Amino acid sequence: MSKQAVLERRRAERIARERAERARETRTRRLWRLGAVAAAAAVLVAGAIAVSSGGGAKPAPPANTSSLLAGIPEHRGVLGDPNAPVTVTEYVDLQCPICARAAQSTVPALIRDDVRAGKVKLAVRTLHFLGPDSVRAARVAAGAEHQGRLWPFLEAFYARQGAENSGYVTDGFLREVSKAAGVDAAEALGQADSAFATGRLDRANADAARMGVSGTPTLTVKRGDGPERALAASPLDASAVQAELDREAAR
Amino acid sequence: MRAAAVGVALAGLGIATYLTIVHYAGGTPVCAVAHGCAVVQTSDYSELAGVPVAVLGLGGYVAVLAALARDGEGWRTAAAFLSLAGLGFSAWLTYVEVAVLHAICIWCVGSALCMVALSSLTVVRLVRGSGMPVA
Repeated sequence: MSKQAVLERRRAERIARERAERARETRTRRLWRLGAVAAAAAVLVAGAIAVSSGGGAKPAPPANTSSLLAGIPEHRGVLGDPNAPVTVTEYVDLQCPICARAAQSTVPALIRDDVRAGKVKLAVRTLHFLGPDSVRAARVAAGAEHQGRLWPFLEAFYARQGAENSGYVTDGFLREVSKAAGVDAAEALGQADSAFATGRLDRANADAARMGVSGTPTLTVKRGDGPERALAASPLDASAVQAELDREAAR
Repeated sequence: MRAAAVGVALAGLGIATYLTIVHYAGGTPVCAVAHGCAVVQTSDYSELAGVPVAVLGLGGYVAVLAALARDGEGWRTAAAFLSLAGLGFSAWLTYVEVAVLHAICIWCVGSALCMVALSSLTVVRLVRGSGMPVA
């Protein structure tokens, strides 16, 4: 090999080494940069989580669950003046968390503003499609209705609602709910397998099918003996529900 | 890779826009899993320091798209940072849905998947550089 060729080869090897070195440095720099970026992102997310975790899953139950319903008559599971011109029916599943939310926001507003004023009476249909806990809860709710305490029972149930289908609706749980609602627990649980309770569940299914209810909660409105129709407003939006009821009343 | 990242970010932007509109309209998102979206959307976790999470997502996707619109190491770093932060926060929100709220919002899951894809693409893009061989 000539001297010129040797020099050329050494030059090529040096250039290749320098390129490889530069590439290594670039890759190292980028990996460090990625690490710094990931660390900065982690710090940002940790801060966001610290702020976010100050939130809660559910609103606290009302301090006094009986004050909302105090003095309002309940007749055959319908809350309010039996002569109220408008009937609002709520289709619920007692296990449904959003029903609990509606029961702690929209429904109290309705009771305070319309039911108490004698403008609206509230009915409920306890659907039971989420699981066996829903069926048991709906049956014992029928037992509470039999004692004229359905609405206090619903209120107490929602305030203690557990995770869907976790098996929390035990007899012990239902006794606790009954006690909080002023319901005779033994009688209500005894009513759970009665024809009355079965009738209430069948009626809920039939009415939901007739109205095409596909989810809970669903609110419907009926003026006098007129047709029942589903409210367009979200059951979680108390002001929208109120506005729609006001329009209904103005018809 | 940049085009794929832009596509994913646009998909995420669409989801965040929908959730933002639903948030301010006071409604509940159309949800294939019963109740989940409404529960998540109305939970206390739907806002961060008073700002709806949907709006944060919207802003995040817009920022990622802005970073993807230009090339250069700084912009690639910014895109990776934003995507990783979004991924971390999405992971936290998914944990909250499953462990705290016991409700799954399919839109949030969709956005989280977008963040997973976006993070992968932007990180690979940052490490590889603009097509320049590194080894």
